[in-house]
Amino acid sequence: MHPALWISKTGLDAKQRDISVISNNLANASTIGFKKSRAVFEDLLYQNVNQPGGRSSQNSELPNGLMIGAGTKVVATQKNFTQGNMITTENSLDLMIQGHGFFEILMPDGTISYTRNGQFTVDQDGNMVTSGAGFQLEPNIVVPPEATGITVSQDGEVSARIPGQADNAVLGQITVTNFINPAGLEPIGQNLFRETAASGDPVQGIPGLEGLGLIVQGALETSNVNVTEELVSLIESQRVYEMNSKVISSVDQMLGFAIQQL
Amino acid sequence: MDNLLYIAMSGAKENQHAISVRANNLANVGTTGFKADFEQARAMQAFGAGLPTRVFSMTERPGHNFDAGPLVMTERELDIAIKGDGWFAVQSVDGSEAYSRAGSLQINAFGMLETASGLPVIGEDGPIQLPLPLAKVEIGQDGTISVLPQGAPAEALFEVGRIKLVNPELADIEKGLDGLFRRKDGMVEPESPEVVLINQALERSNVNAVAEMTHMISLQRQFEMQVKMMRNAQQIDQKQDSLLYIMG
Repeated sequence: MHPALWISKTGLDAKQRDISVISNNLANASTIGFKKSRAVFEDLLYQNVNQPGGRSSQNSELPNGLMIGAGTKVVATQKNFTQGNMITTENSLDLMIQGHGFFEILMPDGTISYTRNGQFTVDQDGNMVTSGAGFQLEPNIVVPPEATGITVSQDGEVSARIPGQADNAVLGQITVTNFINPAGLEPIGQNLFRETAASGDPVQGIPGLEGLGLIVQGALETSNVNVTEELVSLIESQRVYEMNSKVISSVDQMLGFAIQQL
Repeated sequence: MDNLLYIAMSGAKENQHAISVRANNLANVGTTGFKADFEQARAMQAFGAGLPTRVFSMTERPGHNFDAGPLVMTERELDIAIKGDGWFAVQSVDGSEAYSRAGSLQINAFGMLETASGLPVIGEDGPIQLPLPLAKVEIGQDGTISVLPQGAPAEALFEVGRIKLVNPELADIEKGLDGLFRRKDGMVEPESPEVVLINQALERSNVNAVAEMTHMISLQRQFEMQVKMMRNAQQIDQKQDSLLYIMG
């Protein structure tokens, strides 16, 4: 069949993926700690139909060959880990990392995953957990039931006021973990990321030290999705999709014409 | 059988090649750093005895559109675009040096600076490796990469290498089968100091979608004319047959 049909099909496929990535970004535009992705396109291999420099007659050469590209494909989706905006909430268990790093979360199966979403809450045993699925923060911090006024310092020390005690009681230390290549982390949903071979090993540390971000209490990090930018990309992807489908219908008309005429 | 049919067929076949080239351009309207291909037809004479009527057509790709694509700011520290003329060097799969303008770079787990498809970016002395772990990477206008190791104070930014930027004569380079550009003579292009990088930006594809669509229409009509000619050849043949039928 006509190669242009398949070439344009790759264009349709690629743009469909692009639209999925864009719509996921848009759907998560107000998800705390969400990091936007983008699809990266590359041209596919080229098929050599006529080699340049081939003989066109006994004593002349073809100056130009004919290489036909096979279309396009999505080679990667790159996560963009730029900082989102800060919103202040005045909730003492809302935490935000200002700078590099992730909170460590203990999954029910014992593995560790990572998040930038600092909407924590307390479960019935006083453990600090994520507000969605209720996974524990690692290292675990237990808030005593009688505690009032929890304070989280910039370097992650959690303390609380216990009635009858003059000094604040230290409840624990929140650590922040960073990766060599955060873009290589695998997003697993629920605002969580998992370590992969591409992300490198986790480097754990005290917030604010060794280039890690600081903890800001009573604030949250919004997603870094730029809605206008996504909408412009969406328009572009849609038009490119339409153009590629136009090629398919043109080729279809051509073949139809040939069949009808001959 | 008259050779009209074969000449029209060669025209239709080469039209299909031309349409494939245009379809590939259109499929890559969204590909970062993509350069559109041109397509043209060449007359290939095959004169023998009798009237010199046999001129077949052959489609070829005479070159690429090297115009710069539009720049978009991405605010990602590992995105680079080249301002004006020039290319940056990457190591292709077979180990040879190739040139690209698709600058959505990334760092892999071993600290190698690579393109989105995983090809290492070449510096002054081979592929560029960054010390790990790092807090910040900065790419300067001349391709100089400075890094701030994690935990170091802000003034500890140091230089680890320089992306090899080249500016070959456009007539000397061509697109290979992997879509990367190389010198036609297989040589390695020397570094060129006048090439300017823009950080946190990407160059979009330079395909002009409207122009490509117009070419498509023109090629489609041309194809239909070839088919019409084949139809004519068929009718001429039928007429000849019917003449012979009356005679017999």
